[in-house]
Amino acid sequence: MTTAASRPPLVRGSDRVIAGVCAGLARHLGWPVRMVRLGMAVAALAGGAGVAFYAWLWIMVPTADESAKRNARQPASPIAPAVAPAGAEPADSWWSSVTGMRYGKEILLGAGLLLAAGILIARMLGVDVPLGTLIPVAAILGGAAIAWMQLDETRRAGLVDKTKADQAGGWARLAAGLALVVSGVLIMVSGSGSWEQTWLALLSSVAVLGGVALVLLPWGLKFWRDLETERAGRVRATERAEIAAHLHDSVLQTLALIQRRAGNETDVVRLARAQERELRGWLYRDPGKEAGQLSEGIKTAAAEVEDSLGHAVEVVTVGDCAMTERHEALVQAAREAMLNAARHGGGAVSVYLEVTDGAAEVFVKDRGPGFDLDAVPADRLGVRESIVGRMNRHGGTATINSTQDGTEVRLRLPLSAGAPAGAAATNSNGEARL
Amino acid sequence: MSSTEAGSPAQGIRVVIVDDHAIFRSGLKADLDPDIVVAGEAGTVEDAVAVIAAVRPDVVLLDVHLPGGLGGGGREVLAGSAPLLGSTRFLALSVSDAAEDVVSVIRAGARGYVTKTISGAEISDAVRRVAGGDAVFSPRLAGFVLDAFGTAPADIADDELDRLSARELEVMRLIARGYSYKEVAKELFISIKTVETHVSAVLRKLQLSSRHELTRWAAERRLL
Repeated sequence: MTTAASRPPLVRGSDRVIAGVCAGLARHLGWPVRMVRLGMAVAALAGGAGVAFYAWLWIMVPTADESAKRNARQPASPIAPAVAPAGAEPADSWWSSVTGMRYGKEILLGAGLLLAAGILIARMLGVDVPLGTLIPVAAILGGAAIAWMQLDETRRAGLVDKTKADQAGGWARLAAGLALVVSGVLIMVSGSGSWEQTWLALLSSVAVLGGVALVLLPWGLKFWRDLETERAGRVRATERAEIAAHLHDSVLQTLALIQRRAGNETDVVRLARAQERELRGWLYRDPGKEAGQLSEGIKTAAAEVEDSLGHAVEVVTVGDCAMTERHEALVQAAREAMLNAARHGGGAVSVYLEVTDGAAEVFVKDRGPGFDLDAVPADRLGVRESIVGRMNRHGGTATINSTQDGTEVRLRLPLSAGAPAGAAATNSNGEARL
Repeated sequence: MSSTEAGSPAQGIRVVIVDDHAIFRSGLKADLDPDIVVAGEAGTVEDAVAVIAAVRPDVVLLDVHLPGGLGGGGREVLAGSAPLLGSTRFLALSVSDAAEDVVSVIRAGARGYVTKTISGAEISDAVRRVAGGDAVFSPRLAGFVLDAFGTAPADIADDELDRLSARELEVMRLIARGYSYKEVAKELFISIKTVETHVSAVLRKLQLSSRHELTRWAAERRLL
């Protein structure tokens, strides 16, 4: 069974001629897809066995997307990102590597045309082809195929998704399939009868259908409502499970840790602070806000400083922009400023980020005793190199204002590169510009 | 903010603490400066409205999230105490950082908003300030204001309520940067009283403006 274990799962692919059954089967068995298709066609000639087999596989085998969805497990905690099932990856690369079947629809159309041509030639040669039966049968089959493919696709995109953009197209296809089937059935039933008869038949069948619909509609509505209720219940249950998983992984663990370390005040404060930050981020995160924003970078840096030094860092942000390489430098400089403030300053460290059209500015303020910039030894890399030098290199400026009430580091980075870098200078009232 | 810079010289400010956690109430009571007298406590919306009406305190320290009532929390207490808003000032206290929570209690009539992690000295100072008729803005609230009103100063053509003046913007920015009122005054070469006037003006705009962001935040808490 070693070979079976390494076999890719049996799923239908997107490179379909009809429903992707042959391609999926070929991939599963490791055979060339053309062979499988040929075999299926030959089997179809043998009393329709191939057709039956195909239809059965179509119904029973899920598409690659459905299979992936089914296999996707809920992540244990929202902190851990949901991981895609590993099986889907080779499938994707395999599907994309198959380029030979790109013209599947064209080939199908060609085959249909060839068949029609063959029939015409046969008729010319005097062979009696029962066209009266063949055309309606073909119409029914074609209509059914169109409608079924539609159902298949909507299921793939999720039947629940009512806001699907190409919903109108889907309905049109469904209607076209239905019209084909109905006309096929009509022609077949009424034979080569007169129009009058046909209309009569149409009228009576519509009347019968209407009567059946009238009887079944309440049932259908009830089932639909039950389905909706059940779906809503499932969504709620999933949400609940997610919240429970999150609280278990974060809050309960932290509470257990706090109980064990109750004697160590700094540890308890640090744990509580980190947990508060994590829970806050989870509760109040803005789902519309995309990742990789500058405010996220600043908040992450503040969180690191809080964790490493156990000192509260309050972050307030106004405006936002996407992170670039230069913003990375701004975040690093801000991080260094926060580290300094947390190490040497007293009280809470305040961080304020403001992004306007022209520039991104970060202010880091502490309430420590302040320090004399000129007294900082030249070998202290923290302030000179990590903050001022880094900002200047990236076309920004850094200003440090230190008084008895505290120190404030102001970082400014123009949004476009190439702006003049701030030159070092010291003014008279003790405020140093570097 | 140190306690010496408080705006009001009032002696013996009477406060009511409204919070559903008894531990937090007793902790806060112990933290408050001696000149602030706790005249009553309440843990639910109904209790709070009754206690406030009976005690008629100078300041109510109001938790935003409260059990009881119709589920409206602190805003319901504000609505229930509407006749007293002239004499009793409300200072909102919360652990929540969400703009909807902050903005909705301010628009319901609170004179300030501070987070529960604030120190005893700071909260005493905030109580005195609110009792004196001023507004209390935390850095985060100032950040929300800047977010909602935008960081560009008002033109003369704009509706006065929907934009902040250049001076008000400067004050809000400094508060968001963590400056106390005293530090703001020093930085801008104005008096503390002028800073308080600017902050009160911003509070008024925050309560009355119909800017889209504010109405959206308020609507998200079903305030409108």
